[in-house]
Amino acid sequence: MENSISQSEKLKQLTEKELHKPKFTAKEFKRQWILVVISAIYVIYGIIFYYLPLLGWIMAFQNFKYYEGFTGSKFVGFDKFKFLFSDDSFLRVIRNTFAMGVLNLFFGTVVAIAFAILLNEVRNRHFKKAIQTISYLPHFLSWIIVVAIVHDALTSTGIINDLLMRFGIIKQAYPFLAKPGWFWPIVTLSNLWKETGWNAIIYLAAITAIDPCLYESAAIDGAGRFQKMRYITLPSLRPTIMILLIMNLGNVLNAGFELQYLLGNGLVQNVSKTIDIYVLEWAISARNLDYSLGTAAGIFKTVVSLTLIVIANFIAKRKGDERLF
Amino acid sequence: MKAKKLFSLALAAVMVASCVAAAGCGKKSKYTEFTMFAAMAGKEKDDDNEIMELIAEKTGVKVKETWLTGQDAGEAIGSIIASGKLPDFIDGGDGCVQLYENKMLVAWDDYLEKYPNLKEMYTDKEWDQFRMSDGKIYWANVFGNHYKEDTTTGHNGEAFWIQARVLEWDGYPTIETLDQYFDLLERYAAANPNMPDGTPVIPYTCLCEDWKYYCLENAPMFLDGYPNDGCVIVDYSAGTDNPKIVDYNTTPTAKIYFAKLNEEYNKGAIDPDFATQTYDEYISKLSTGRVLGLCDQYWDFAYSIMGPFAEERNDATDGQTYRLDKIGCDYVPLGLTINAGMEQEWHSYGDELNKASGCAVTTSCKNPDLAFEFLSRLLDQDIHDLRFWGIKDTDYLVDANGMYYRTEEMRDNWKSDAYNAKHCCQYSYMPQWRGRSKDGINCMMPDEQPSEFLATLSEPLRKCFEAYGAGNYADMVGSRVCDQQPWYPMWSWSNSISNETAGGIAWQKMGETKHYWLPKVVMSADFETDWAAYMDAYNAVHPEDFLAEAQAEAEKRLADSKS
Repeated sequence: MENSISQSEKLKQLTEKELHKPKFTAKEFKRQWILVVISAIYVIYGIIFYYLPLLGWIMAFQNFKYYEGFTGSKFVGFDKFKFLFSDDSFLRVIRNTFAMGVLNLFFGTVVAIAFAILLNEVRNRHFKKAIQTISYLPHFLSWIIVVAIVHDALTSTGIINDLLMRFGIIKQAYPFLAKPGWFWPIVTLSNLWKETGWNAIIYLAAITAIDPCLYESAAIDGAGRFQKMRYITLPSLRPTIMILLIMNLGNVLNAGFELQYLLGNGLVQNVSKTIDIYVLEWAISARNLDYSLGTAAGIFKTVVSLTLIVIANFIAKRKGDERLF
Repeated sequence: MKAKKLFSLALAAVMVASCVAAAGCGKKSKYTEFTMFAAMAGKEKDDDNEIMELIAEKTGVKVKETWLTGQDAGEAIGSIIASGKLPDFIDGGDGCVQLYENKMLVAWDDYLEKYPNLKEMYTDKEWDQFRMSDGKIYWANVFGNHYKEDTTTGHNGEAFWIQARVLEWDGYPTIETLDQYFDLLERYAAANPNMPDGTPVIPYTCLCEDWKYYCLENAPMFLDGYPNDGCVIVDYSAGTDNPKIVDYNTTPTAKIYFAKLNEEYNKGAIDPDFATQTYDEYISKLSTGRVLGLCDQYWDFAYSIMGPFAEERNDATDGQTYRLDKIGCDYVPLGLTINAGMEQEWHSYGDELNKASGCAVTTSCKNPDLAFEFLSRLLDQDIHDLRFWGIKDTDYLVDANGMYYRTEEMRDNWKSDAYNAKHCCQYSYMPQWRGRSKDGINCMMPDEQPSEFLATLSEPLRKCFEAYGAGNYADMVGSRVCDQQPWYPMWSWSNSISNETAGGIAWQKMGETKHYWLPKVVMSADFETDWAAYMDAYNAVHPEDFLAEAQAEAEKRLADSKS
């Protein structure tokens, strides 16, 4: 036993040494030049499309005017940020974006996992395939269509109110769309309806990769269906879940635009507007053509998203889980 | 080797074939094709539209028009500026100033001298009002401009509208106040709760989506007897040299008006979905004829419901076929005031010069001279007739005196959306005339030709106008006839102020506050408390900053008119 540990230890040291050895010599380059060229293409692509545009961040510190350009526009320091953070409605849209982002992330993940596990338990292959196809089709609908359906279903004569009234649960049509308290649940449910099937695909794939021996031995040990789900499927999915969670955390502030923009109205604006809608109204509508303000809001979003990812990654690292970097 | 050769031969053949095909597809049209974007909702024309083809034969130019799809004008123009992808012609609505500031428009000045048709549109003094800060003219408003003679028959502006059948049912009563208006709507709805197809009627609805929430918010201005300055009341009771800006949101009238709406909402007379409906839902609701009354501007709803109103329907519970316009669903405007017997200005007489927006040629246009020539040719009488009257003998007939007229079938054709898309081509956001034709006999627009106007009215509408002794819509509103003041309309200023000033920020915040609170107070169970809370929230966003800038603008316009 001891022997084997020391051996594997040695092997580890050796590989680490190998890894840290600088190896990029001319000879090596000659041998690998095709690979280098291929990866260089991606690096250049990244620089052009992801890093060069960051130069535009300079707009956030200027009072940028389209016709004056970067060079002609006046620098105003942190004025745009000051405007943003002294504006109650910007603070409110941050709250809304976070709230809807977190709701989507939490319910989106939980429901997708539950759905994938349950679907995996279905024995009839044709039925399973049919359900899977039906469930991910809404993903391909545009939000415009989904919102039209949701809007229609929730009006005073829509199907929801109609059913509630027919069953005598309510006497008068309930104005779902006019109640701020209902807006986040409606957004979350719409997202679930549209994306659950799609999100479940990756978990379904991960489930297929689980070694069937595990299930068999569990069965021999007397595990029932739910115990197998609890003690084998879920733990095996853990790395996938962690990675997806970390990546999706970076998207929390992209809680949505179309859905909230199309579904919102004056009465629910305090809970419906997201950062993106704020930017549209205050920075790129013609009356308020203020790219600087929009850029400032964009920088804020980037910084927060990056922080979130780093923190999540750090926690995952500490807990010994799968992680991004 | 042989196989390889064969393969390359085949490949070459495919390439040649595709080149030929591509060349075939890219066949040049005979005409110069321009694009036009109007920051307004509108309907696209078919590519092989018949009158478009005829106009192209005469002018050598074809214009593909595109419209707003869902977003509002400001956002659309904002993204056009951001992308830098401009059409050849543009009507930027509220975004015109931004297009100018970003140097995306071609100045009209040189072309005005070259094309007298364009120059003729306005007097020198009027043209001067279009001049921007650099002293040049970049666009011309194309609407409501009468040639020689004012022949207005319509009322394009705002009013409380009511279906003709409701007035007829009550024996054409005099309706002057909100109380009388809602009382009649309620009584009618109680006596006639259903449409022929069995769906219930909606006594009153009100659009409050986005900027079109003016349907809800600006009535207090009119109810106090003032014209449509849009954002404020300009009180000149102290003399026309001494205009004073008044905020219509906080007047006693405003409170009475919203209290009335609140009362009606709680009685169930107002559409329960009014606060959350989208524009599309609003129009489809109106198209069913179920809505008895509403407050809106004519252009915003009337053109969209003409088609559905003229359709033959056979879904009645008694099996009879019917048409909505024939059973009196057409809307009649009422010029209500807060107290009976007041004078009002819901209808503005005379041409309203909105210098804030109009038709413009962009810097992306490769041949601006041709573009301006085209705009000018559109005002030639023959092409103008093609645009608005159609093709002689197909769309209109000419009697012995040279008077144009249409048959019932032709009129129905022009109301039909499908016929419009494939046959009619108004180029509706490009220069056009109203008023008397250059032939001195006809009118530029069919709807202003007195005989045509009366003939296009449905029977119930005609009877209604007769009962009130009104010759047309404007008479029906019965506004005071008076000259427009030099600062009028103030909305052409407020629609384009930016958030660079305190007043601009206040204006945006006032809008946000009203969007939230106005539907809320209407739907409130406790009006007084909510109204007080609304007033607190409203005053907290500093409307005084906005009003001060409005005051300065009114005085500036007054001074400009004198110099």
